[in-house]
Amino acid sequence: MTLFDAYIKKLADYQQELRAKGRQVREIYCPTEVSELTEGLPVRVGSQDSGGIILRGDTFLELGNPEAGSCAFLMWTDKPPLIQDGKITLIGPDIPESPGASLPFGQVLMVGGAGLGEGEHALLEGNQFIADQIEGYMIKSVSQLMWSRVSRDAAGKGFNFETLGRALMAIFKSAVPKIEAMEVIFVTSSKEDLQPLENIDEQVREISHNITREIWQAKGYDIECTLSWDCRSCEYKPVCDEIREVVRVRKKKSKKTKTAADS
Amino acid sequence: MTTKRKQPEKALQLYRDDKAYMQMLMDGLSLDESEEAEINKGVIKAVLDKYDEVLDCAENDKPFITSWFAYAAEFFTAMGVPWFMFPQTAFLGIEAPHVTDDIDGAERLLGSDFCTVLRLSLYYVEAEMSPTPSACIALLHPCDGTVMIHQAIKLGKWRDVPMFGADPPYWEDERSYEYYARELRRMVDFVTEHTGYTLDIDRLREVCEESNKEYALWQEYNELRRVVPCPHDWTIGPPQCFAMATFYYPGKPGGAEWFKTLIANAEKRVKAGVSGVLGGEKIRMLWFDILPLMWQFDIQPWLEQEWGVSIVMNMFGFTPYEPIDTKNEDTMFRDLSKRSLTEYPMIRQARGVADHFLSDIERIVKDYKIDCVVWPAHMGHKDGSANTGMMREKCRELGVPYLHLGVDIFDKRYTSVDEVKDMFSKFFSSTGLGQK
Repeated sequence: MTLFDAYIKKLADYQQELRAKGRQVREIYCPTEVSELTEGLPVRVGSQDSGGIILRGDTFLELGNPEAGSCAFLMWTDKPPLIQDGKITLIGPDIPESPGASLPFGQVLMVGGAGLGEGEHALLEGNQFIADQIEGYMIKSVSQLMWSRVSRDAAGKGFNFETLGRALMAIFKSAVPKIEAMEVIFVTSSKEDLQPLENIDEQVREISHNITREIWQAKGYDIECTLSWDCRSCEYKPVCDEIREVVRVRKKKSKKTKTAADS
Repeated sequence: MTTKRKQPEKALQLYRDDKAYMQMLMDGLSLDESEEAEINKGVIKAVLDKYDEVLDCAENDKPFITSWFAYAAEFFTAMGVPWFMFPQTAFLGIEAPHVTDDIDGAERLLGSDFCTVLRLSLYYVEAEMSPTPSACIALLHPCDGTVMIHQAIKLGKWRDVPMFGADPPYWEDERSYEYYARELRRMVDFVTEHTGYTLDIDRLREVCEESNKEYALWQEYNELRRVVPCPHDWTIGPPQCFAMATFYYPGKPGGAEWFKTLIANAEKRVKAGVSGVLGGEKIRMLWFDILPLMWQFDIQPWLEQEWGVSIVMNMFGFTPYEPIDTKNEDTMFRDLSKRSLTEYPMIRQARGVADHFLSDIERIVKDYKIDCVVWPAHMGHKDGSANTGMMREKCRELGVPYLHLGVDIFDKRYTSVDEVKDMFSKFFSSTGLGQK
């Protein structure tokens, strides 16, 4: 079981809640092979296929402007059956239905592969920011936010969330062949609907940070320490050990207090 | 409560001289009517206005403070309190022609191992070459050096200047943001106590809304720098954007107007496919630190002319900023706290975990189509240089060449210009970048 599995289940609950609230939910089932995913798409997909940036005047709509709301994250599992390969879920309006709009944007990517492990984590994380790989689609260079634009040209050709989802699946499956299944959720209904997603995101980020830390530790680096040399030869090691112990005790204590309060 | 202070005459004279030098640059630029010159005139005007403001306060015994870019100057704009950035003169770089002599003075005081920008700032105080403010906001991160200089001046020439330093937490979580927000509230109270200027929350909201516009426009400009070729050369771009948004016009209407002019010019050049680098852009570089302010004229034009290098992005030009939520007082303090702790350059990378060194490099390399990453390894940035192995490893993963220089960004005598040019030439030749 991977650390994200519990959150994959939480996402199912989240979608169920939005359905119960009467949100418009569309499910699209796409082919699963890379060649089939890109077949018939209205825009090109691949390295340097974006044709440059999208200027404000050429923008059909924006997704994830901070004022509208933005939340994006990725989870992976080594249990492919947890993922419905090729499935795109869209909650809220689609791109062609929203000319000139600035929509809230939630994007959750879930990938599964029996061979996936911490070694692929960095590659999967980095792939979310696809730079120049989708024609007519640009993610703005703002860290921690998935804030993007769709060009008028692309919208004119029929670019929609199915296009985006299929393109993302093709990019991920090409970059990480160990991926056996991939599922995408897009949320554009409202900023309020992103709130529960942000709560999940916060926990996913923490897991992701811990995995990143362990990966770098295996390489001999500690990303939580700006001194960056081997702990065994560091004169501050006793201080760090003591701080870690204090943090551990504090967490234990606050957990006990919380449990007592809950009961 | 305000305090009357006697100003050192040397400091006032230095400010007047620096202003006169800046005015000379403005006069020279006035002969150039191009749009690009207008953009730079806007920045120089902002610098001149700042000199006027500080001189007016110092000469007429009005309260004013000194602080740092990392303290969300939106607070000071909203309070209306005049301020200058503590290391201002060093940050002006080549535009302050006496700096090399001042570095020699600072070296006599502190030797040569300590970050030059901090040595200089301390020297200006101890040599009575800095106006004496009504109060000082001390920076307690990202390095030991900043703490030390404030301790030193508090025991030295500014022993009577009230000083406050917000205590920065290490981690980046909600608890840390809330804690630092409380520290910022203490800072505001401190400024009020020593200058008489107060913070009105409605005014802070207006300022934050204006500031949000500036940062959004700055981000928009950065998108334009992603275009190949980059639309502007070394004379226009990230350093000016940083100075205008964080120091000269934080939350002031003139800032957004300046950014609009900048964007309009960049858009025009992008549409026309004009390269900032004359002769064509061949190498797109990420300079991951402050630009070499004291040797701009020696290195940057040479990089462009000799190798077709465009420094597309640098640490201070990158915009990881999130807008300030102006819903209420708490949200504004919380978001300005987050910005102060985790978004301003150098603080973001060097204060806490090393994540940002790596994630920022990855993001910039991909978004800006970067061909090579340069860590200048400024002699004062030992914290960052300790991470050079990780940065090199990250660049290997990304498939971009990485160069660790070893220079003093503020003093070209530390590693000579010829040596640096030699390092670059060997780097470009051995990596094949120069063959493009």
